[in-house]
Amino acid sequence: MASVALVVMACAAACACLAGGIAPAHLRALWTGSLTAVSAGAGGVAAAMVLAGGDPVVADFAALFPLGGVRVEFDALSALFTFGTSLVVVPAAVYGIGYSKAGPSSRPAQIAWPLLVWSVLMVPAAGNAIALIAFWELMALSSAAVVLSEHHHNAEARRAAQWYMAMTHLSLLAITLAMFVLAHETGGESFAAMRSGAHHVGPAAGSTVFLLALVGFGAKAGVVPMHVWLPRAHPEAPSHASALMSGAMVKLGVYGLVRVCWDLLDGGPMWWGAVVLAVGLVSAMFGILHALMASDMKRLLAYSTTENVGLIFVGVGAAGMFAASGNRVLAAVALAAALLHVINHGAFKGLLFLGAGSVSAATGTRDLDRLGGLARRMPVTAATFAIGGLALASLPPLNGFVSEWLLLQSLVHSLPSNAASIAVAMPVAVSIVALTGGLAAAAFVKAFGSAFLAMPRSVEAGAARESSGTMRAGMLALAAACVALALLPTMLARPLERAIRPVSGIADGSPISADGVYIHLSGIEAALSPLTIAIGLMVGAGGMLAVVRRSRSRATVRDVPPWGCGRTVHSARMEYTATSFAEPLQRVFDDVLHPEIDLVVDHRTESRHYVESISYRAETRDGIEARVYLPLLAAARRWGDAARRVQNGSIHRYLACSLVVTVVVMLVSR
Amino acid sequence: MHGSLQVRQVDAGSCNGCEAEFAAAFGPVYDVERFGVRLVASPRHADALVVTGPVTRNMAVPLLKTWEATPGPKLVIALGDCARDCGVFAGGHGVHGSVADVVPVDVEVPGCPPTPGAIVAALRKVAGT
Repeated sequence: MASVALVVMACAAACACLAGGIAPAHLRALWTGSLTAVSAGAGGVAAAMVLAGGDPVVADFAALFPLGGVRVEFDALSALFTFGTSLVVVPAAVYGIGYSKAGPSSRPAQIAWPLLVWSVLMVPAAGNAIALIAFWELMALSSAAVVLSEHHHNAEARRAAQWYMAMTHLSLLAITLAMFVLAHETGGESFAAMRSGAHHVGPAAGSTVFLLALVGFGAKAGVVPMHVWLPRAHPEAPSHASALMSGAMVKLGVYGLVRVCWDLLDGGPMWWGAVVLAVGLVSAMFGILHALMASDMKRLLAYSTTENVGLIFVGVGAAGMFAASGNRVLAAVALAAALLHVINHGAFKGLLFLGAGSVSAATGTRDLDRLGGLARRMPVTAATFAIGGLALASLPPLNGFVSEWLLLQSLVHSLPSNAASIAVAMPVAVSIVALTGGLAAAAFVKAFGSAFLAMPRSVEAGAARESSGTMRAGMLALAAACVALALLPTMLARPLERAIRPVSGIADGSPISADGVYIHLSGIEAALSPLTIAIGLMVGAGGMLAVVRRSRSRATVRDVPPWGCGRTVHSARMEYTATSFAEPLQRVFDDVLHPEIDLVVDHRTESRHYVESISYRAETRDGIEARVYLPLLAAARRWGDAARRVQNGSIHRYLACSLVVTVVVMLVSR
Repeated sequence: MHGSLQVRQVDAGSCNGCEAEFAAAFGPVYDVERFGVRLVASPRHADALVVTGPVTRNMAVPLLKTWEATPGPKLVIALGDCARDCGVFAGGHGVHGSVADVVPVDVEVPGCPPTPGAIVAALRKVAGT
C-alpha cells in the first residue's frame, strides 16, 4: 500500500509542475500549492505506513537511467525522514498558496517548488548510488531555482543563489566521490550490495568514504565550516521554501551521513564519532552565537538551524562513539534522540520560517530593529511564532525540550565509561549543549520581543495586517504539530525504534519504550512524561491566574499609562531594540565574534559640549566566511586572471595548446 | 503610613534652594530616616510626593503624570513658598502656577527655603513619628 502512496506522490508532484506551467496566473499558486500539498501528504502516508510496521518498498527502474538504473528502497529510516519532510511541507504548501499570490508566483518558481518538494521526499528513498546522486542533484537545482524566484527585484537573491549553488555542488562532488569509492570497494552499486560487501572495505578506504561523506552531507546540513550558504539562501528564498529547506532539506545531510557511514559501512572507528561530535558542538555554539547577533529575522532563524543541526550531529556523533566503544544500547538512545530532534526541529523551524514570512509579507521588512508591536496587529502569527519560539528555546512543555532532554540523558549517562575519549568528550558536550539551550532562549526572547511586543518601530510595522487565510492555516497546522509532538512523543517511540533498526552500525534492541504516558530509555534509569509536565504547568498557571483574578476583584483597579519618568512623548525610539538586547552578549563573546563597531559622535561647531548627532553601527561578520572563503575566492579570481593571459583570443595559440594536450594524452594513455 | 513614609521628590521648577535644605534633612545631622521616612526613586514606590518650586509650563504635565503614577492612598507635600503660591516667581512668563493649581496639596511647608528642622518636623507629622 505504501508503494501506491509513493506513486500518488509522484503523480501529484508531476501534476503540480504541470499546473505551475500552464495554469492561468491568478490560479497558478492555488493549483500548484494544493497539488504539492497532496503530493507531500501522500509521501507522509507512505512514510507513516512503513513506520507503523509495514514492509519497506523496494522497486527497480533499470531502464530509467544509464549505469545501473534507479532503485528505490524505502525502509523505516527513509520513512522517518520522508515523514519529517511531509510534516513540514503539507502546511508550507498550503501557506505557499497565500504567500505566492503576493510574491513569487512566476512560472519557473511555481514549477520548481513541487519539484523541490518531490526530490526532498525522494532522496531518502534512493536505493542505489545513481538514484541518490540523481535525486540529490534534482533537489539542489530545484532549490536553487526557488531561491532565485524573486531575483527580478532582489540582487541579494542572485548572490545568495551563487553561494548556494557553489556549496551544494561541492556537496554533490564529495558525495559522488564517496559513492565511487564505496561502490568500487564493495563491488556493488546498489545499497544492498554495498551493505553486504562492507566487510571488504579496508580502514583507509572506509575513512576516505567517511571524510568525503562528512564534507558532502555536512555541506548540505549546513554545519560549520560549510554553513555559509544558510544565512544567505534562507533569507532570500520565499518563506515556505525556507521552511522546507531549513526544516527538511538540511536534515537530509544527517540522513546521508547516518545511511552511508553507520548503515552501509556498518560503523567505523571511534574517531568517526568523535569528529562528527566535534563538528556538531562547534556548529551548535557558532550557530547560536551568530543567531543572537543577527537582526534579520530569517538570518537569525538560519543560524539557529546551524545550531540545531549541530545538536543532531552531536547525537549522531555520540551514537557513533558509544557504538565503537561497544555500548550499543546507549548508542541507540543517542541516535533516537538525534532522529527525534530531526522531526521536532523540522516542525518548529518550519513554523518559525512561516511566521517570519508572514511578518515580512505584512511589513515588507525582516529587520527586527524596524519591527515591533505586531502581537496586536497579527495575533495568529504572534501566537504561533511564540509556540515555535518556545520549542526553539527547548523549554517544556514543547517538543524541542523532549528531544534535547533525550540527547542530554544519553550524553550524561555515558559515564562512567571505559573509553578515555568518551570520558573526556561527553562532559564537554553536555556543557555546550546546555549553554546553547540557554543562548537559544535569549535568541527567542530577542526575536519575539522585538518583532511582536512594544510599539512599532516603523510606519510599515504600524500598518501591518494579519496575513491571509491559507497562510494562517499553514502556521496553525504546524503549531498544532509542535504541540502534538510535545505532548505525545510516546507515539513516536515504536517508529523511532523501527527507524534505527536498519542502522546496523548502531542498532540494538529498542532504545526507547513508552507506556502511554512515560518515555523510558533502555539502559538508563530515566523517564519523562511530557504530558504530565504540561498538565502540571497548566494547573499551576491556571491556579495562579485564579489567585490573581481573586485579588484583583477585591481591590479597586485603576488603569494608568506606563511610567516614563514624566515624559510627555512616548516614542518607539525609546524602546529596546534587537541590537541593544544582544549587545551585552556581544560584549561577553567579544573575543569569539569580533564585532565591527563604528561609533561616530558629531559635536556642534559652537561647542564640543553639545552633541549634534551620534551614529552607532555594529556588524558581526561571519569569521569563517571572512577568513576561509573570501581568501579562497580571491585566490580563485587570481588564478582566473592568470589563465586569461593564456586565453588571449589567438587561434594559433589555442591550436598549439590542443596539439600539446593531444600529444600528452597519447603519451600518457599509451 | 505610621512609622513608614516613602517619599518621592519632584522638582517642578525650583531654584534648588529647597533641594539643598531637603537634602540636608536627609543628611547625617538631621537624619530624618530615623523617623521612618525614606526617599524612593520612582513614584510607583511612593506614599507621598514632595514638590518644590513654582510649577513651570514644561513641568505641569510631568507633575500631573507623576501624581497619576503614584498609587493611592497618596499625599502631596508642597515644600517652600514657591510651591505654595509661586513666591517671588509669581506672574513670571514661564510659570504655570502653584502646586495646588496642578495637583491637590495635603501638607504645606512654608519658608524660602524652609529650614531642615521645619522639613523634618513636617515629615514627622505626616509619618506620625
